[in-house]
Amino acid sequence: MNQLFYGLITGFLFGFLLQKGRVLRYDKQVGALLLKDMTIIKFMLTSVLVAMVGTHLLVDLGLAKLSIKPTIMGGNIIGGLLFGLGWGALGYCPGTSIGAVAEGRYDALWGVAGMLFGAALYAEAFPAMKASVLTWGNFGKITLPQLLGVNHWFMIVPFVLGTLFLFRWIEKKGL
Amino acid sequence: MSHNGKPWSPYLAGALSGLVSIGSVWFAGKYFGASTTFVKTVGMLEQLFSPDRVTQMEYFIKEVPKVDWQSMFLVGIFAGALLASMTDRSFKLQKLPPLWEGRFGSGIGKRGIAAFLGGTVAMFGARLADG
Repeated sequence: MNQLFYGLITGFLFGFLLQKGRVLRYDKQVGALLLKDMTIIKFMLTSVLVAMVGTHLLVDLGLAKLSIKPTIMGGNIIGGLLFGLGWGALGYCPGTSIGAVAEGRYDALWGVAGMLFGAALYAEAFPAMKASVLTWGNFGKITLPQLLGVNHWFMIVPFVLGTLFLFRWIEKKGL
Repeated sequence: MSHNGKPWSPYLAGALSGLVSIGSVWFAGKYFGASTTFVKTVGMLEQLFSPDRVTQMEYFIKEVPKVDWQSMFLVGIFAGALLASMTDRSFKLQKLPPLWEGRFGSGIGKRGIAAFLGGTVAMFGARLADG
């Protein structure tokens, strides 16, 4: 029960911020894919930066645990290509489609229906995927710091600095 | 009426959403995600028609069809976006995105088909990549 309540509150705050940042819109998402409007890149990368630093602090303090997904090249690459194709055609991702409907952009309902259908198809295809694509290049639950044998802050600090330079460049270009 | 209300800087909104994410990991141990809920929801829909079949499907044994933290997270996103858009007057019932309409015209059938197929392919890919 408590978990459901936490989910609702967290989603409420996140949905509020997604809407205020204007990143729920088709024009913003496709604008980023066309390299013409970097609004969602600014939102996403800023969010990642802050969350990355905070989450690792919590982990270092023993207050949280990372949730690492396995790296399976077959699934990650083929799945990523399919996701990109579909995202470009729909113009909303799974979470933002819900928020887009909430702000009245009801063309996203077609996308929600399509995504439910896609989820049903995947449930049917799962045994076949598990026996093929999901066996290709399975590296298990690896992380970049672990692979390079360095402390995670040696990855985080350069990532933060690199992103800040990217933001400065984006602003100079007026994107 | 511009229907754009008062947008916040995407840097500010993004940074605050990063803080929300940290709070979620700290207090609930939960990382943000959305696509699993589509699996669980369609599983619940399929249960209405063929409960025995759903019980035996491997993917629905892995992702048990039920309402959980992430389902409520999506309900919350809906409510939060609704409140934000209502209070700054950026809410707008809009059948087609302006960028789409400018490029592909005002027919809603074409948009419906592209959005449905796009959603289908995107979700299949998202689940395959386990994202």
